[in-house]
Amino acid sequence: MTPSSPSPPAGSGPDRQEARALARARAAELRRRGARIRRSVIALALGLFTAAFLVVYVQLASGHDPALVAAAQRRHHLQSRRSTRSPSGGTGEATASPSQSTSTELGSESSSGESGSEPGAGESGGTQEGSGESPSSVTTSQS
Amino acid sequence: MNVMASHAPLATATGPYLYWITSRAAGIAGLILASAAVGAGLLMAGGLARERRAEMRVAHEALALATLAALAIHGLTLLGDGYLHPTLLELAVPFAGSYRTLWTSTGIIAFWSLAALGLGYYQRARIGAQRWRSLHRLTAAAWMLGIVHSLTDGTDSGQAWFLVMIVIVVAPPLALLAARHLLPSALARLTGRLAPAGAAPGLAPPNPEMQRAGSR
Repeated sequence: MTPSSPSPPAGSGPDRQEARALARARAAELRRRGARIRRSVIALALGLFTAAFLVVYVQLASGHDPALVAAAQRRHHLQSRRSTRSPSGGTGEATASPSQSTSTELGSESSSGESGSEPGAGESGGTQEGSGESPSSVTTSQS
Repeated sequence: MNVMASHAPLATATGPYLYWITSRAAGIAGLILASAAVGAGLLMAGGLARERRAEMRVAHEALALATLAALAIHGLTLLGDGYLHPTLLELAVPFAGSYRTLWTSTGIIAFWSLAALGLGYYQRARIGAQRWRSLHRLTAAAWMLGIVHSLTDGTDSGQAWFLVMIVIVVAPPLALLAARHLLPSALARLTGRLAPAGAAPGLAPPNPEMQRAGSR
């Protein structure tokens, strides 16, 4: 395909076929490159997901999950408050209605963010007040 | 459970949390993929990858689709979470749920915006190429909503590794976005051309060769 060569009649000749073949080859090369890029992106996505899963899994399994640790700390704080209050149980407020006291504490725990903080955060300790309660159930028991 | 034991970091049985872990992992992957997709889009729009435009277009599209898949997994796996028990309606409709309503809704709005603005590409003929381009620029806003959601609603948002990761993946697209909107003339000089008056800097027509090659 030299520029000096006389132009063949339109619609025929080796130049046109050559150009078509070249275009087909280029299109095929682009398709191959596109498929390679798509495969790389899929591999990247799977790799990212796996890495993130492992980080979160190890963090949780080793007991360092931020939501579960915060929930456990709140539970510990709540129980220590309860245990310091119960020995002096002569005061009317604490003994008059223990159920009311408990539900109020649960409510404050809820508002401080445990029940609304993280999915699964309330299940960690296995203690009654936090485990598996949805925000709405806490609100119900409070009211 | 012992109070002290619950206070100290101990090994936790992960079985009940698998849906939750999957959702968190998919959210993190989605955030990284979305940042990469936005970065690739901004590189193309800014004319910074002209030699590799066809490849960038394919990468941008693949990253955007992978983002949507990851975000769909992020939301749908929460359906199996034993603590939150959300309904499909609460996961799909903003302000329908009671769990951290504002920040969860931010994420839902971000997802639907990304889906509409990204998948609108396949309806360009109906929407009109120019209108689609104008709308597609809002993708960056949806991406930023997603970042806000991850920082406010994310379980790991207070963790050092998460914050470092956010900075690493968000800073480059954010810098490109800032350059595009705050310093368009400098960007045009950098790319060696001037943006036509009234047009967004760096937006070039689609590459017909790549489209014929079936890049979509």
